[in-house]
Amino acid sequence: MALLDTNDSVAKPLILKAEKTFFQKLKLILDNPTFGILYIASTQHTDKSSSIGVAYMGSVIDLQARQKPDQKINETTDLALNVRTSSEDMTGWNRQKIVDALMRETGLDRQTSEEVSLEVEAVIKRADIKCITAPLIREIVDSKLIERGLEDARKKHTRLGVPIYDVDQLILHPNKENANVPHGPEATNLTLAEGIKKEYALLRVFSPEIGDAHMRGDIHLHDLGFIDRPYCSGQSLEYIKRFGLSLPNSLSIAKPAKQPEVLLAHMVKFAAALQSHFAGAIGWDAVNLFFAPYLEGRTDREVRQLAQMMVYEFSQQAVARGGQAIFTDINLYWEVPKHFENVPAIGPGGVFTGRTYGDYEKEAQRFVWFLFDVYREGDGTGRPFFFPKPLVHITEKFFRTEGHQEFLEHICDIASEKGTTYFVFDRGDTAKISECCRLSFKLNDSDLNDAKEPWKMRFCALQNVTVNLPRLAYKNMGDEQSMFNSLTSMIELAVKAHLEKKRFIESLLALGETGPLALLTMKTDGQPYIRMHRASYLIGMVGLNEMVKAFTGEELNESSRALKFGLKVISHMNLECQRLSEKNNMHFVLEQTPAESTSYRFARLDLRDFGEIARQYVRGTIDNGEIYYTNSTCLPVSSRENPIERVKSEGLFHPIIEAGSITHIWLGESKPSKQSLANFVVKVFRETLNDQIAFSPEFTNCLQCGRTVRGLLDACPYCGGQQTDGITRVTSHGTHVSSWNKGKLAELKERDKSRGFFAHTQTGSA
Amino acid sequence: MPTVKIFIKKQCPRCPQAKQLGAEIEQDGGSVVCYDVETAEGLAEATFFGVQATPTIIVEDDGENILAEFRGQVPSREELLKLISS
Repeated sequence: MALLDTNDSVAKPLILKAEKTFFQKLKLILDNPTFGILYIASTQHTDKSSSIGVAYMGSVIDLQARQKPDQKINETTDLALNVRTSSEDMTGWNRQKIVDALMRETGLDRQTSEEVSLEVEAVIKRADIKCITAPLIREIVDSKLIERGLEDARKKHTRLGVPIYDVDQLILHPNKENANVPHGPEATNLTLAEGIKKEYALLRVFSPEIGDAHMRGDIHLHDLGFIDRPYCSGQSLEYIKRFGLSLPNSLSIAKPAKQPEVLLAHMVKFAAALQSHFAGAIGWDAVNLFFAPYLEGRTDREVRQLAQMMVYEFSQQAVARGGQAIFTDINLYWEVPKHFENVPAIGPGGVFTGRTYGDYEKEAQRFVWFLFDVYREGDGTGRPFFFPKPLVHITEKFFRTEGHQEFLEHICDIASEKGTTYFVFDRGDTAKISECCRLSFKLNDSDLNDAKEPWKMRFCALQNVTVNLPRLAYKNMGDEQSMFNSLTSMIELAVKAHLEKKRFIESLLALGETGPLALLTMKTDGQPYIRMHRASYLIGMVGLNEMVKAFTGEELNESSRALKFGLKVISHMNLECQRLSEKNNMHFVLEQTPAESTSYRFARLDLRDFGEIARQYVRGTIDNGEIYYTNSTCLPVSSRENPIERVKSEGLFHPIIEAGSITHIWLGESKPSKQSLANFVVKVFRETLNDQIAFSPEFTNCLQCGRTVRGLLDACPYCGGQQTDGITRVTSHGTHVSSWNKGKLAELKERDKSRGFFAHTQTGSA
Repeated sequence: MPTVKIFIKKQCPRCPQAKQLGAEIEQDGGSVVCYDVETAEGLAEATFFGVQATPTIIVEDDGENILAEFRGQVPSREELLKLISS
């Protein structure tokens, strides 16, 4: 830059004309090659007006440099400054603050810190500018650290923030990473906070090796924006029934509920509190059974009203992260589960009733029946409820319990009508708690012992790390041994990521009741609410189908050879999890990643980095960017096979994916009879190893007349309105299609809708 | 010719018996494949057949149809020979 004499920049300050804007002036300074990066970062997000350019920075320094010609280099320049800091006060220019910050934050020695601060001060003086932001000063300091090769110090001195252009976009447009988050100010707050915490996680919590693997798309670290929380959890109503609602830092304490309505209020408030401490779902075990002691003597009308309150409270509470509903799963049983039969029941006031839960079967059945009545009605306009997700457990005892056929048809009726029901299969002696999306845990002996005191039944998964399977195929085309070696390395990497997150969460928990996770450390029953020794660490997978196709030339559903190769991949992952669990004395388990955004992200990154190879296997339409990988171990959504065959084939993987799996049966606009679905469910229980199924119909909601109709339509059949929005299941839960990302939209177009398989008459069969 | 698939693992009291049976059938000219379910290959094959207990013995024809299965138990040598020769 002609205007800059770098050899004598102090003696001959830049000639910056008065009419130039701040950023134009800064550009002139920063055109010095050493400042190139900083200039790009600064100008990329600035408006023409310098005042706008600085306004986003949170803190502003109004600077009027009055250089003294005879000033010594080791003195602070006498600058008349008005410094607006991020803590909203006014201070003056003080070069010493740079020195202090460098020494405090980076550990640099005083001499180096002094030198850097003087260089920075010189740059600012040369700019002859009227105002400057404190964050920009920090960036100038960072650029000086880069010049000096002090990379470690620069990292420690990094400022996390968001460009104003991005904030504009966030405020104006919906974030489609999670279709469950509505667009609004609270969602903007969520996204901004997530952005900062993601950066923090990648810089401070995870090692560069892990951070780089995530950035490249070898693995995906889920919920990085919630780095200071565990992933998801499951709890028991017995905890609040016994101890009431006493949360750290709350202004009031509630004794155990005496009325069912109050118990529901406690449940909702506790769920909201927990949701702010976990990144994912909040699951509740045996909800209808644990409510039962409160329902004796209540009329059907009152119990039905309570059921309606529960569904509306959880579906309308737009209070969780970003203004979304609390992601709630409620586990329900028609029978009294064997492990609760002889457990002393807790009733109103937190008092033991003197009876066991085996005595409350009828009340529990009455409540669960009414819950599904509410689900059948749908909301005020007949739309399906997305939350709370009802997970009905089907067990051997279910089939021995009176009234099970009527109940099965009842919940199948709702599955067909609204798609709301989830069917969880607990075969043999297994019992599961489904907590989150596809996450469920089989209760082991220790858990069953806890079942005698159900308030102890609290579970959590600390984190989920997903492996990009197609990429492993692209990297090792034709070399199976090499591919399996790479897979081992990826799982070891995922385990390392878990260890790093665990270390961080434990450091927060160690702060106890004064720390950010005080709620999880409360010891109401003598042990911390979060039981870290029982935590699980999830390892997921995306795109097994595409990986198998790249390796065998066939998709999972095209031959038993391809299917067996897929099983070998997941078996290898399962065995590696076992090996590493023993080695680290932790519980690493496979989970089917819901991958609402991960399957899209991996596909995009692979297309970028493995162009020609990836183009052959990425699904969707490459030209318009609507691309994706098939979720987890699922068969391709477009395969047109008999749904029971899909359930069988996908179910083969479920026993080796211990933290939970599901098969979706896409119904489209069809509406099978309840008997047809009931027969199908029984067949799945008896003839497959599938862990969980859900039926997913599609709906169109007219934004003009408000009606909801079956199928995805471009126009409303009632009013002819063109403004419509689709509703169907995106991954584990239903949402509005307008909120989906491009990858999921591509998947939706390719989903096979099981046409012609299910009988549509009331007497038909599957 | 039918194939006898035997699924075993280390910590399994009856697995040596199943393995021995497999060796005898092989000596008699039968086609036998032994799978250790603690290897990826073995676990994958076991998962494909829904094996949930060891030892398990599955007799499969050339078209991958299951002719007989013994889950968690070991049949007699005669019984197995009869199956693969029929």
